[in-house]
Parts: sequence; structure tokens; C-alpha cells
Amino acid sequence: MTTGPAIYFDGLTSARHDVTVEATPEVLRIRAADGAEIAEWRYQDLRHQSAPDHVLRLGRTGDTVLARLEVHDPTLAHTIDEHADTLDRTGAAERRVRTRVIVWSFAAAVSLVLVGIFGLPALADRIAPLVPLSVEHKFGLAVDAQVRSMLNPGSSKGPFECGLAAVEKPGRAALDNLVKRMETAAGLPIPLKVAVVRRADANAIALPGGHIYVFQGLINRTRSADELAGVIAHEIGHVANRDGTRSVLQAAGLSFLFGVLLGDFTGGGVVVIAARSVMQKAYSREVETAADRYGVRLMGKIGGDVRAFGSILGRIAGGEPGISILQNHPLTKDRIAAVNAAAGDAPAPAQPLLTPAEWADLKQICG
Amino acid sequence: MTVPDATALAAPGNAVSAAPAVRFIGERSAYWRLLIRGAVLLAFTLGIYRFWFATDVRRYLWSNTDVSGDTLEYSGTAFELLMGFLIAIALLIPLYVGLFLAALSLGEGGELISVLAFPLLFFLGQFAIYRARRYRLTRTVFRGIRCHQTGSALRYAVCAMFWWVMIVLTLGLAYPFAQSRLERSKMRHTYYGNLQGRFEGSGFSLFLRGFPMWLLVIGPLVFAIAYSVTSVDWNAVASAASGATSVEGFIGQLESKFPSIYVAAVLSIGAVAASIILAVTLFPVFQAMTLRWWLSGLRFGGLTVRSRLRASQIYGAYLRFLWYGLLFTFAAGLIGSIGFVAYGFALSHLGKTPGSEIAGAAGAVVFYVAVMLGFSTIYQGTVKLALWRCGAESAEFDGAGALDRVRAQGAPGSPVGEGLADALNVGSI
Repeated sequence: MTTGPAIYFDGLTSARHDVTVEATPEVLRIRAADGAEIAEWRYQDLRHQSAPDHVLRLGRTGDTVLARLEVHDPTLAHTIDEHADTLDRTGAAERRVRTRVIVWSFAAAVSLVLVGIFGLPALADRIAPLVPLSVEHKFGLAVDAQVRSMLNPGSSKGPFECGLAAVEKPGRAALDNLVKRMETAAGLPIPLKVAVVRRADANAIALPGGHIYVFQGLINRTRSADELAGVIAHEIGHVANRDGTRSVLQAAGLSFLFGVLLGDFTGGGVVVIAARSVMQKAYSREVETAADRYGVRLMGKIGGDVRAFGSILGRIAGGEPGISILQNHPLTKDRIAAVNAAAGDAPAPAQPLLTPAEWADLKQICG
Repeated sequence: MTVPDATALAAPGNAVSAAPAVRFIGERSAYWRLLIRGAVLLAFTLGIYRFWFATDVRRYLWSNTDVSGDTLEYSGTAFELLMGFLIAIALLIPLYVGLFLAALSLGEGGELISVLAFPLLFFLGQFAIYRARRYRLTRTVFRGIRCHQTGSALRYAVCAMFWWVMIVLTLGLAYPFAQSRLERSKMRHTYYGNLQGRFEGSGFSLFLRGFPMWLLVIGPLVFAIAYSVTSVDWNAVASAASGATSVEGFIGQLESKFPSIYVAAVLSIGAVAASIILAVTLFPVFQAMTLRWWLSGLRFGGLTVRSRLRASQIYGAYLRFLWYGLLFTFAAGLIGSIGFVAYGFALSHLGKTPGSEIAGAAGAVVFYVAVMLGFSTIYQGTVKLALWRCGAESAEFDGAGALDRVRAQGAPGSPVGEGLADALNVGSI
């Protein structure tokens, strides 16, 4: 039996009792300074409570109050620890539990990352074709407003969208002419809404709901109507394959997944996330290749120069390293080769898709 | 628990003894070990470990805060926090799905949902803050008696919402009054056993002390705005903007139409810079002042708290943060550049493939996460710990005898509030 001083709180009042503790093999006996027995604690009820390193702080399971016994004497603390199997003074049991927690948390994190990399894209692939067109249309409108405000550089030279001023009207008419032919040939279930916007980078994007934005920078760098048509055909491919909806579903799923994981639910509204994902155009290699193939077929259908898309692609990606928005796309060289292979040995068409006059108008669509 | 909240609980003490009322007995090295280990595990588990990390940190801070011989005890567990978080997620999912569907069905106005969701989430966040405080209080045990909190979280959230709107509308001038009101309502519902707390800090006295600082920070900003509105010839700027076709043309036209443009630009930019520099350098003073004011306003029954916290102590903590941060930046920069060079070397030898690009991007993400966690660890080990420690040790008591006759009262609160606060990103230690 070991005896030693301790501090006792009965859990009913905050009064501090200086007590003597007898650690007998059967039971822990707590005596007041005058020797009167205050309490008798069974070893199997003892629980270790958080305390500074040099203090053993004990409580009891199943106690309705928070009675506490604080032992500062190392010998006494050691004896109590020896008698009580439930105590974990060295922290070995706690460390075992903690190791399990770490292993399982790590496994959970790996599993969630795998879901993010493989599960979500697969899920988005299956769900995107099932989204009703009316829903995609509405969603397109919501995303459209957001994307416009994100893309708009706030140029003072006129409204964001080109083709509205009187001098730009003929260009708009030429574009409409071109798009109408492509749309008829494509036979899409939703109407296309193609617009040229005042933005300097050479790029074009497709949103859910049939919105296609061609940037002024691209118009400036195209040398023929067929090159422009090639880019638009590629974007129509995204619309036909519903890639916008798919990437929005994927991004929403990803942000939700990581919201749960990281406990961050405040990371922007769904529409903002969606708009961002469309703008980043982080489509996979397969998705881009599919849109390329679609574009090639569509160009063939309307009698355009199939290889034109390859040449504008090469010029944009090759000419301005760093600025190229196409850096997210699969290796451009492979794509150009694939486009040319798909074109086969079909002869170049005798005449371009637009008359020289129409093409000249279209080049001036942004004034 | 915010740093000030816990020091309130450290209030009991012995007025007779000459020793300081509250001591912090933790070793700094032990805390750093805890923080670094936690940061590494947080990174490897993508944050899932945070429930255990938060519990460890609280246990350390609570049990090393000594009030005349007796230390606080944090009796919460990580599993409680995890359960609270899971329940909060289950409550939030319908809300998010609802917002998603609303954004969809509105079509063109869909982006408005993001705007409308903000006040709703802010309100929920305030609700969660109050509930989380209840959880932490009921897991705070001192001398075998737990603390607890009554009152309605909804009511608190409404008040907090009102006061934050006022703070924004008055450019921060309402902050002292908001703090005093909100703290009053929190402390009135705070109990140590059956001993009710209250808060007697006056918003006006904090206002008087903070007003010169406010003037120093806001003054230059107001000057910059007033100056550019009155003395800049906006007609000249507008005509230059509409008449010019390039940036150079714009500046050229502006120079001819409005010769003093450079003076105006330098004055405005200088004023804004002065405001930012003053805000950064005065922040520790502000923090020390608010913490001292808060501590000195705390009452538990007959117990009154006074604090003599000095701003220099908080400055010291920030200087340590800057120094460690600088060393860390240097180390991270060195490791980062070695990694970058190695990556470039590997690329030039193995060629550019999609796989290598993904590996590069993944490496960049890992590096970024490591750097962010590093800074957060340094901040917690210097500033956060100093606020806790200096705040606690600066406290002096009158009438501490009130704490010796407290009877047990109150039951443990649910951890869902903590989960909500976590999910809404308003959680704290």
C-alpha cells in the first residue's frame, strides 16, 4: 500500500480538499486531513483526464458529477497506475488509437482523392446526357451572365459584345451566315448563340446551353473564314457532346467533395464555380479529341477546308508561348496530326466558306 | 474558443496570495512539437485530422493554464467534434442542394443566389459561433465544476448580424459598441457552475481609445478620396479616355489636358500606402488594447478582473512571427528552387509528356500546401500562443473568494455547433 497527498474536488462544489490517498491493492481510499474517509474509488472506474505533464488527474466513469482527484506525487501516481488497468498514464493506448485514426484518415483522404480523379468524371459522363435540355438551357443562362462579367475586361472602346454598332453590323451578318450553315449541318437539339466579344486573347469557349464566345483576339489572328469556322466547329463539338454541362457537374461535385473534406462550404456559389470551371476549360484529352473529330466531320459536311483548323491551332499554340490559352489542351502537335489524318486526302475546297467581301466584313466585326 | 474567452475562465484565483492570479506553465517546445506534428498530419489526411489536432491544442492550452495552483481541464474529445461535423454536414447538404436548384431554376438571375446566400451563411455562421462557444464552455472543467452557457443562439445571431451591418456602415466606428453589446450578451449567459458571468467593459471607453487609431488609418484614405474627387479634373480624364486609342495616347492626352496629374496620382497613392502601413503597424496595439479592455470588463459574481497587458508584448510576438516567417521563407525558397531546377532537368532529359506535366502540377500543389501550413504553424506558435499566454498572465483579480463556493450546474452541450462553425469556416481554437 502506498499513501500520499493529493487534491480532491467532490464535483458538487468548487471547494479544494487537501486529502491523503491510500492506494490499496483493492481500492483507492480518499481521506480528509483529519483522517475521515471521504470516498472510495474502484480502480476499474478510474479515468485519466487531461492535465499538465507532472499531474495525474483522475475522474470516474459513470459519475454524475465531475469529481476529480489530482496526484502530484510521482510514486503514488505510479502505484495507482499499476493497480488500474483502465489508466493509460504512459499514453501507450492513446497512441495506438491515434495511430489507427491517422491510418484511417489517410485512407479516407486517398479514397476521396480517387473519387475526385476517377469517380466524379465517370459520374459526370453518365449524368450529363441525362440532364434535360430545358435545364441545360436555364443553367446556360445563369452561367452566361457570370462568365460575361468574368471575361469582360471593361474596355472603353465599346460594349463587350461585338457586332452591335452600325459599322459592325455587316460583320455580324457574315458571322450569322456562317453559323447558320454550320448549325443546320450539325442538327443540334438546342439553338446556338454565337457571339464575338472584345477580349484580346486568341481563344473561344463553349458554355452549357449552346453559348459560344469567340474572342476578338482569335478573329484578328485567323487568316480565312475556314480557319474561324474550324474553331467554331470544334466548339459546336463541345456543345453537341454537352461538355460544358459535364465539366460543370464535375466541378460542382469536386467543390462539394472538398467542401466536405476540408470543412470549407463557403468557397463561392455554385454558379461562380461553374463559370470558373468553364473558363478554365480543363477538359481532358479525350474530350478535346472528341470535339476535334466532331469539328472535322462538321467542316466536311459544310464543304469547308478541314485542315484550316489545324493551321490556326498551330499558329495560336506556337506563336505566343506563355500567353497561349490552349496550353490546357492536349499536345497541339498530336492534335494537328490527328486533324490532318482525319481529313485524309480530301482535296481542299475550291472556294472558301465566305466570299472575300463577307470575310472582310467579318474581320471588322469589332469595328 | 477564442483566446479571450478562455482567459475568462482562468479568472478564479486567490486574492490573498502574492503570486500572479493566472500562470501559463506550458513549455513552448512541447507546443511547437504538437503544432508541427499536427501540420504534417493535416497535410497527409487532407484536413481530416483537424478534429484530433484541435482537441490536442485545446488540451494543451487549457491544462497548462494554472489559476493559483489549479489548472483548467478540457474534457472534449475528437470523436465528439467529428460527430458534430458529420451532423452539421447532413444539415447543410439540403441547404446547398436548395441553393443549387434555386440558381438553376432562376436562369439568368442565377448569379444572384450567390449574393443572397452570403447573408444567410453569415447568419448561420454567427449562430454556429454561439453554439460552438457553448460546447467549449461545457467541456471546460475547473476544480471539478464545469462551465456552461444559456441563452438563444438565434437571438445572438440576429444581434450579431445587426452589429456587423452597423460596423460596415460606419467604417468600423461602431466596432467598440458592437463588441461591448455582443460580449455583454455572451457573458450574461455564461456560468461557472452556478456563478453567473457578466461583462462591464464600456463601448465608449474603447471607442475613445481606438478613435485616434481609426483616424490615423481612415484619415489618409478619406483624404485620398476627397482629394481625387475635388481636385482631379474628371472631365479631362473622361475626354482623354474617350479620345485615346492606346494607353500611351491616353496618358499623353491626359498630360496636356490636366498637367498636375502626376502630383494628384502621387498624393493619392501615397495616402493609401500610408493608411495601409499605419494599419499594419498599429494592429498589435489595437489587438493588445482590445484584449486588455475585454479582460478588464469580465466579472463572475463578486470577482472582478483587471489586466495590465502591454502592447510591447504583442509586438514581440509579431516580431517573432516575422523572424521565423523570414527564416521559413528562405528555407522554402531554397527547397522550392532546388525542386524547380530538378524538375526542369528531368524534363529536358525525359521529354515533356502529359504525365510529367501532371507530376509538375502536383508537386506545385504539394509545395503550396506545405508553405501555407508552415506559415499557419508559425503564426499559431508565436502570435496565437502569445495572445493566450500574455492575456492570461496579465490578469489580476479582486474578490476571488467568490470562486471558492461555487456549486455544480449545467449539462454538457452538443458539438453540432462546433461542426457547423467548422463547415462554415468560422471555427477557432
